[in-house]
Amino acid sequence: MSDIAAAPIARTALSFPGPVRTTDGWETTARHAAGGLRLADLGPLVKLTVRGPADGSVRAALGTSFGHTVRPRGGPLAGALVVGSGPGEWLVLGAPGTGGELLAGVRSIIADSGEFASVVDVTHGRALVRLTGADTPLLLSKVCAVDLADRVVPDGAAFRSSVARVVTDVVRDDVDGTRSYLLHCERSSGQYLADSLVDAGIEYGIEVGAPTEHDDATGHPR
Amino acid sequence: MMLLTCPNCGARNVSEFRYVGEAKSRPDPETATPEQWRRYLYFHRNPAGWIKETWYHGSGCRRYFGIERNTVDNAQRPAGVTS
Repeated sequence: MSDIAAAPIARTALSFPGPVRTTDGWETTARHAAGGLRLADLGPLVKLTVRGPADGSVRAALGTSFGHTVRPRGGPLAGALVVGSGPGEWLVLGAPGTGGELLAGVRSIIADSGEFASVVDVTHGRALVRLTGADTPLLLSKVCAVDLADRVVPDGAAFRSSVARVVTDVVRDDVDGTRSYLLHCERSSGQYLADSLVDAGIEYGIEVGAPTEHDDATGHPR
Repeated sequence: MMLLTCPNCGARNVSEFRYVGEAKSRPDPETATPEQWRRYLYFHRNPAGWIKETWYHGSGCRRYFGIERNTVDNAQRPAGVTS
């Protein structure tokens, strides 16, 4: 028996039939999706929830408000995706393994603001998928009542609503001009949500697969 | 399907909300008689017309808000936020 303990492996909320791979300490599906409509498990991404005054210094430092998103180019949250997920509520998504830095970054923002605000690392408590493809609005229209037209939900917009009857943060984050949405929900509802999306997407030829190696942590091309 | 207009999220399917009840002032528990307290808890105006209500947007912004709704035709108009 080896006296070297194996590194712990975390599992995302989602599992799919087929091979798995381990990257950054997370076990995810190794299936490859190359079709026009793809669902990718982004569970390993760091997820922080921030709460504070809806219109104060924290909001100004995070750079976005309810219904909008931003990718800070510099500062403590550089490279992350900051989502205004509710009034006085934000979701910060970052590359796997950057949780400590992002948490420290948000804590410094809160400390500098002097406001009553909080940040919690919910990486292991939430599910996150990316749905990409031109037919994505058609698929989502089967499970979500919100109008996804450009004038209502343009690229970079975010909202929270019922998707397949699961309370879900929906973030439009187009990839190279192709419609793409991030869907974020409680971990225990994640598998159900993903299965519902796959069911709804069968008629459009949906495929489940890992983000390609050319994608960065949030599934965006480098 | 009825649509309800959340002041934060806009018009949404009513199934995203929880009906909290008719908005009315709460009597002081220290001085209210049992009759007044019972009336506050269990008696409602239930008019055929405009009524001020509190709703909770559980599937959206997770905020309580007040709205005026016409019980005859479900027409709505904004009211002050109650929380």
